[in-house]
Amino acid sequence: MGVGKSCLLHQFTEKKFMADCPHTIGVEFGTRIIEVAGQKIKLQIWDTAGQERFRAVTRSYYRGAAGALMVYDITRRSTYNHLSSWLTDTRNLTNPSTVIFLIGNKSDLEGQRDVTYEEAKQFADEHGLMFVEASAKTGHNVEEAFLETAKKIFQSIQDGRLDLNAAESGVQHNPSQPGRTSLQGVSNEQQGGKDSCSC
Amino acid sequence: MEDVLNDVVSSEDLKKFESVYHEQLRASHVTQKAQFEYAWCLVRSKYSADIRKGILLLEDLYNNYDTEKRDCLYYLAIGNARIKEYSKALSYVRSFLQIEPANVQVQQLETLIKKKMEKEGLVGMAVAGGVIIGIASILGLGIAMAKKN
Repeated sequence: MGVGKSCLLHQFTEKKFMADCPHTIGVEFGTRIIEVAGQKIKLQIWDTAGQERFRAVTRSYYRGAAGALMVYDITRRSTYNHLSSWLTDTRNLTNPSTVIFLIGNKSDLEGQRDVTYEEAKQFADEHGLMFVEASAKTGHNVEEAFLETAKKIFQSIQDGRLDLNAAESGVQHNPSQPGRTSLQGVSNEQQGGKDSCSC
Repeated sequence: MEDVLNDVVSSEDLKKFESVYHEQLRASHVTQKAQFEYAWCLVRSKYSADIRKGILLLEDLYNNYDTEKRDCLYYLAIGNARIKEYSKALSYVRSFLQIEPANVQVQQLETLIKKKMEKEGLVGMAVAGGVIIGIASILGLGIAMAKKN
């Protein structure tokens, strides 16, 4: 059983819960167009397999990601304990401006909780990560996690912290696209590697 | 890089996993892991010769090991679809779905392959359609000229 990365992505792109969610093979792709500050933004999301045997190859998907969503399962402490190793990978393989968002999935299973909100929140604060608890099953906070990540990336671009011209920024600007009159910038961004522990 | 069939491996990655595999090959001890990682990179290459090589490595893994057959089937389907061996690609997808009928990742791959086939089928029809319009216009021209005379 995984922490639910693919289920979160499926809930975000299809607004449906995948009840039977087998282990992802390699990498999956998902896209959704959202609007941030009146700008159309296309999110390209890479959903990387959590199992160890895929880790060497999936690492290459971190490069060029503007954001990363790191997921653990609130009902299984072991998945939370692995976070620092995933975070090290993410930090080493992305650039300093990459937005990292921590998601504690399966918040609907309150009775089986094994990691408190406070503890995870503290971990997130210490490492400068954004954080929510969410449920791919009920949809709770799923939209928020993705949208907040996108907003943060958008902000980084506006503040000039993220250089659109850098090859590794994970963001493509497309000013010539009809219907996308943009004064401020982005029309297109990639959001990468939802990495995590699946144990 | 919007879907699994367009995802292309970077040359650094291909080289990296290739050298691991070749080192093990020289030492006459290739691990399943090294072979799979190299094959996974090969089937995402932009060169069909690489893809074919990746397919051979995956077939070898599939036939000689009992574990992770689903990984092999999935990438065999992708590799074959990328070199336009669609019927083979679909047969791998079907064998996968026989074991895991509800697997959304593989269902999506099936849809993707079918869409690609359809697109290429339509391109074929468009060419045929063009020829028919060509003939029709020559006929039309002939009739118009005949009328003038």
